[in-house]
Order: sequence, then C-alpha cells, then structure tokens
Amino acid sequence: MIMIARKNRRLLAAATLLFGSLTAFEANATDAKADVLALGGSVTEIVVALGQQHRLLARDTTSTYPPEITGLPDVGYIRALSPEGVLSVGPSLIISEDDAGPPETVEIIKEADVTFVQVPDALTTEGILDKITIVGDALGVPHVANVLAENVRAKMTAAISDANRPEASKKRVMFVLSTQGGKINASGTGTAADAIIRMAGGVNAVTEYEGYKQITDEAVGLAAPDVILMMDRGDHGVANGELFAMSSIQLTPAARTQSVVRLNGLLMLGFGPRTAEAIRALNAALYASNDGA
Amino acid sequence: MTFQAENIRVSYGKTQVLRDVSLTADAGQVTAIVGPNGSGKSTLLGAMTASLPYTGRVSINSTNIKALKPWELASQRAVLPQASRLAFPFTVIEVVRIGHQAGSSGDDPDVPMKALARVGMAHYANRTFQELSGGEAQRVMLARVLAQVWAPVLNGQPRWLLLDEPVSSLDIAHQLQVMEIARDFANAGGGVIAVMHDLNLTALFADRVAVLSGGQNIAEGPTTDVLNDETLSRAYGCTLRVSALPSTKAPFILPHTATA
Amino acid sequence: MTALSDVIAAPKDRVHRARSLHWVLALLLGLAALASLEVGATDVSLSALLLKLVQGQELSHIEQIVLYDIRLPRLAMGIVVGSALAVSGATMQGLFRNPLADPGIVGVGAGAGLGAILSIVLGAVLPASILAVAGNHLTSLAAFLGGWGSTLILYRVSTRHGRTSVATMLLAGIALGSLAGAVSGILVYMADDQQLRDLTFWGMGSLAGASWTKVFAAAPLILLSVGTALYLGRGLNGLALGEATAAHIGIDVQKMKSITILAVAGATGAAVAVSGGIGFIGIVVPHVLRLASGPDHRTLLLNSALLGATLLILADVIARVIIAPAELPIGIVTAVLGAPVFLWILLKRRGLVEL
Repeated sequence: MIMIARKNRRLLAAATLLFGSLTAFEANATDAKADVLALGGSVTEIVVALGQQHRLLARDTTSTYPPEITGLPDVGYIRALSPEGVLSVGPSLIISEDDAGPPETVEIIKEADVTFVQVPDALTTEGILDKITIVGDALGVPHVANVLAENVRAKMTAAISDANRPEASKKRVMFVLSTQGGKINASGTGTAADAIIRMAGGVNAVTEYEGYKQITDEAVGLAAPDVILMMDRGDHGVANGELFAMSSIQLTPAARTQSVVRLNGLLMLGFGPRTAEAIRALNAALYASNDGA
Repeated sequence: MTFQAENIRVSYGKTQVLRDVSLTADAGQVTAIVGPNGSGKSTLLGAMTASLPYTGRVSINSTNIKALKPWELASQRAVLPQASRLAFPFTVIEVVRIGHQAGSSGDDPDVPMKALARVGMAHYANRTFQELSGGEAQRVMLARVLAQVWAPVLNGQPRWLLLDEPVSSLDIAHQLQVMEIARDFANAGGGVIAVMHDLNLTALFADRVAVLSGGQNIAEGPTTDVLNDETLSRAYGCTLRVSALPSTKAPFILPHTATA
Repeated sequence: MTALSDVIAAPKDRVHRARSLHWVLALLLGLAALASLEVGATDVSLSALLLKLVQGQELSHIEQIVLYDIRLPRLAMGIVVGSALAVSGATMQGLFRNPLADPGIVGVGAGAGLGAILSIVLGAVLPASILAVAGNHLTSLAAFLGGWGSTLILYRVSTRHGRTSVATMLLAGIALGSLAGAVSGILVYMADDQQLRDLTFWGMGSLAGASWTKVFAAAPLILLSVGTALYLGRGLNGLALGEATAAHIGIDVQKMKSITILAVAGATGAAVAVSGGIGFIGIVVPHVLRLASGPDHRTLLLNSALLGATLLILADVIARVIIAPAELPIGIVTAVLGAPVFLWILLKRRGLVEL
C-alpha cells in the first residue's frame, strides 16, 4: 500500500505539471480520497487526463497508460470480472467502458451500492468527446472535462485534416490483428482499426466484411495492401521476418517494400484523449518515406 | 424340476443358426451339450440365458424366463461365459463378491472365500484379476458363478449352473477339479448344463448329453446311450469309435481310432 | 481352515478403506467449504463475521453481499458442479468400461458448447420476448439445452429395438461432436472480437458468475442426477464384467444404461451450463480414488462426489486469491494443479495402469 501511495504521489506531481491549468478549475478535486475503479484503457486515460488519477484505486488489465497507473491493483480482464475482486478494492464509483461483464458481476456490484457508470464505445471524434463528458460528470469535474473536450476536439480536427490527402495518393492499409498459426486475422470495416486508418489518411484494404476475421491467403493478395499495420508487441525483428515470410503476405505490395507499421494497441485503437496523437503517428509512419504530408 | 428349452430358433441376420432345438435338463444331473464347431452349442446356451434374441420358450423350474425379472432369474441360475474380460482392476475376491451379491445366497459373508477355496484360488484373493493367467481367471469366474448360487437347492427349488466350455483353458488337473465341482453341485440337488468340447470329460461326468449338429438337436438322452459310434460320427462328420473301460463303464473316444 | 480365515481377514481391507474414506473426504469437503467462505479478494473473513454475529453486531452491507451473494452461492455452485463432474466421469467410465471415458463421449460437451456459442453469437437476434425471459441466463439455458439435446439425439441413434449399443453411441458421439464443432466453427467465424473473447472465457470455465439464481436453477437437476447415479454402483460393478454377464447376475442392463445416460446428461448439462467447460475433474477424481480404494462403484461414486466437490472448491479458492483482485479461470487451475499430481501418481505406481 505504501508503494502505491508513493507512486500515486509521484503520478500526481507529474499530472499536476501537465494538467495544472485544468485542475485549477475544480480546486477541491485534488483533495478527494481515492474512490474510483476505472475499467477500460480509454476510460482510465480520460480519468488521468482530467487530473483525477489520485482518485484511482485500481484498474483493469486493458488499462496500461500512462505507465504509472500500472502500479495500481489489476482487477482482471474487463469482460471477466470477479465481483469480490472488484469489491475488494473498495470503490464507491466505477467508470467502465461499454463491455464490462459478466452481467452477474455487474449486478452484484450495483447491488453493493457502488455507482456504476458505463461509457459508450466510440469510433469518432464526437464519440471521444462524449466519453470525456460522461467521465467528467461522473467524477464531478464537468468544467475540466469541457476544457479537455475542447482541447481534444481541436487536436482531432487538426490531426484529421493534416492527415487527409487526395484519394489517389492514399495508401492501402491492412490491419492484421494476429498471424497465429500462419493464418491472417485482418480487420474489415466497422472496427477501431478501420476508423483510425481512415482518419490517418489511409484506405482500409479490406472492406468485404465487418469486424476482425480470418482472411484467406489469396484474398490478402487481392486486398493488395501497401502497408501492413499491426499492434506493437515489442518483438519487431523476428516478427517482421516471419510476417514477410508468409506466402499470403508475399503476394502484397507491402512485402515488396517491406512496409509494416506497428503502433501501441491502446494508443491506436483505444479512442481516448490520445487518438489525435495516434493519427499523427500513424500518418507519419504511413507516408514518412515519400512526402511527409 | 427342469430347465427346458422348446423349439428354439435363433438367426444371425438371414442365417438360421438354431432350427427348432429342444432340450430338457433335470435337476440333480449334469447335462452336457456337445457337437462340432459351429453346431450351435453356445448359441443354444445363449438363448437359454436370454443373452440373444430367440423364438421359442425357455423355462426354469416351469416358469418362462421371460416372465422373470433379471434379479429373480439371477437368484435361480448363474452363467459362466466362455471368456471373461474385466474393465477395472478389481481384486479376485471383489469379483467373486459381485457374483455373491447378485444371488440370494443368504447373508453368509464367507461364501465368496469359500467359493474361491472351492476352485483352489483362495490364496489369490487379493490379487488383481488382470494379473491372472487365462486358466486362473476362468476358475475365479467359476467361483463368482458358484457364489451366486452357492446353495444348490434354495427353498426347495433347485438352482442352476449354466457353463459355457468351463474347462477350455485349463490343464488336466483343473479340468477334473472343475468337472467335479459341477458333479457335486448336481449331486446336491442343483442342475448343471454345460457346453462341452471334450467328449471324454463329457463321458466321465455327464448324466445326459444332447448332440447338436447343423443347428439341430440330433440326439439327446443318457450319456451312455447317446455317445455311440453312429451318432458321433454323424455329428462330427468323421468316423469315430467309442470304447469303454471295463472298470468304469464310462465310454471314451480316442482320436487315434478316428478316420476322417 | 485356519489358512482360510487368515486370507479372509485380509481382503476386507479395501472395502473398509473405501468406507472410511467417505468420512475423511466429507471432513475435507467441510474444511474446503470453510476455507472458501474464509478467504477471498476482500478482507471479509468468515471467522471475523461469526465473531461479530456472536457479539451481536450487525454485518455491514458489503460484508453481507460478500458473504451471502458472492461466497455462499459460489460455494454451493462449487459443490454441485464439482460433484456433478466427478460422478458423471465415474459413471461414464463405468458404463463404457473405460477409465478414460468422460461425459464428452455422450456429446454433452459438444452440444453445450454449441448452445453457448449460438446464444453468444446469435443471441441478440432472438425476439425481445425470449430475451426478456432468459435475461442474463440465455447462455446457461442454451448450453443446457444443447448438452441435453445432443445426448438425447445420440441415445435415439444408438438405440434399436430397445437395446442401446454403447459402441454405436461412441461412434455417433464422435460424429455428432464433429458436426457440433463444425457448426461452432461457422459461428465463431461470424463472431466479433468481443464475442470471441466471451467464448474463450466460457470455454475455460469459471465459478465467478455464481449467483443464487444459477444455483437454484442448476442444483435440483444436478442433485437429482447425482443422487440417482449414486445408486448405480452395483449395476456398474456388474457391467465391468461385460453386458452379458451383467444381465446374468440380475442387472437390467438396458434400464441401467438409460438411467446412466440421462443422469449424466442432466448433471453435466446443468454443470456446464452454469460454469462453462471445466475439464480434468471427471477423469482424475475417479482415477485417484480407484488407486486409493479400488474400483468398487458402490463406494467410488460417493467418494467421487465428495472429492470432486472438494477439489473444485479448493481450485476456486486458488483461482480467486492467487492474482486477486483479478481471478484465473478455474479450468486453468484444475489443469495446472491436477495434471502434475496425476502424472506423479502414475509415476509412483509400480506397474502400468490396467485399462
């Protein structure tokens, strides 16, 4: 507990530095006791961005940013929560992404007089702003949330317009979720990956289906991606070798130029306050070699 | 009291294996069923134990076996199959106890051990059944069967042993031992029906013999009457000579004297 | 006869050992139950609560919820599911005369899996009225219907003229399992990634979703099935000698088979429905007990129920405290702890196991 407290204090110091101007609006906010359990990476990021990280008691497995909060107790995977585990960290407020479960657990938690706020999923700028507003309201810092929302809106608008480019010069991007067992699981439409690719000035190479699905080897060739986009798991060298050795990938333009982009999964797909950053990072990675538009 | 089979027919698919076979076994006697391979001996015993579908009537002590519940039947007759497999590592004594519990041999808890002692396997009581040789396993199974109908006569009713080739994997000493057990059971008032392969043992121990050939009962009666040159030669399809020792009057057959 | 009475004394040992094992295992189950009420992610403990009650203090709202709504239903579910899995395993092994048989053979697992997948992937398109009635228990309900249904189909397929062929059932079970697997595969393909994760977690099994609703839904059927199975001991012993011999020693083999299959489908179907797929208990528990006190089903079945419940409760305690406040799926715990213990037992034995 002492370690966590110290960490919290350090976190607080860092956060105050970054968001000092925001937290000043709700002066007494920093005095509040830790009472919040955040479930879902983007929700946790928003709590921190609102300068309320000192109120965080615990997090779930998908909450990994900022790195400081990984020192908080982990109540497990958001869709497989244990009721006693959640209650054991003693929250009076739980803010959760849309998919917290199982339902039995959520029922018991609600019964235990814990306020349970669910934040809808978002794949658009407006969606992110809604998330921020809801989290801000739940935490009792609506003004800070307004400021953060405006800030995020401006950054998103700028990032998206900077990333935009003539259709003809857009690169075809295929998001590969996994290559488990030599089978490619790629994103179709309607996913976070699809949204971020389009926002970052790319074209999703796979539009024949919705969601993440296994795609046949030949369809990979037909999709003809210029770039393969993947989540960063920190093992580039080996992984790239294996990736381009796959016969399906060899059929693609991406293989000829050895173009693979890896970004942190939460940053890229989380649709939280850092999405503008993700758009710029992805856009830069996609077009770094030619023009840097 | 009798164990009777009347007009038994059994078919495997389109092949008729038994055609109207009848057989009567009396309590107090050892009745042997003999015949060449494929003559239907074991099939007849299978019908008499209701192990396979048959038409005709089988009755035990004048009651149709189809009218009896499985447990009622089990308290009146025990069946020794040709070969026995056992699924789990039961010990020898546990196997015999399974038989004992199936019958209604009273509450004597010593029956299983006595039955094992009877077949000369008492010292193996705690062995696992799977460790036994083929002959040992066959004797343990006989002990199980004996434990099921330990008293040859119960409440004035004879009980029955139905044995399918009981000596097939035994050495000569144990063949005699097993046949003597059957003999004693009959002498005590019980009934024994045994499918036999060995004509000499049949001649030595059986009171009555039924000879099957081609799915039909071609001869039935007292052993000395039925075991003759003509009947056996007809049944087995080779010329057999039946002799008799002056001392015992029991007939014997030597392969030496047979001609194909 | 002195020699005879000497050997008479010895063979009673295993029967007595198995009977005294009833008491040992019942005691262990009691201890495991206390442990599961005592520890958890929160620092609520049974002993502290009892002390409070003795002193006439009220329990706090959280304490009440943790004890009455979380740990107690979870314990109850652990007991019924654990005993259902172990007894179903022992019964199936007896029926199929094979120590490797498990309820999966009669299609319960595949059917329940298909039902669960159907409800997870296609549940949303059901008419609202059905969804309203089934509520959160749609998956449980679908898994139960799937498991029960596939067993009934198998039973129909393998029964001719009032005789059930165990061999046909085995083969038909493989075919039906493949079919269910294939249909599941199609559904998995249609699933989105959230549904996929739900499926993965469902497959690993857990008591985490325990609630009184689930306990009350599953317990009656499981207790009825397990209770019925406990009376099959004599019949299964007979069946160990083969079907023909079983009939000769007075067992109504066909009736036995029907009862066994229905009991197993009921117990496993309900258990899988409320807790997902929990492997290993059904194979290991009867096997360990056979090594300890012999294969006599009259004692084996009750001992399996006791040990199965105990092991599942203990596995659940470990699952929920080892990485608290998060928890492991219980199937992982039973396998990680059970498999090495099982291997060790196999190594310790002198000879090889007789199948």
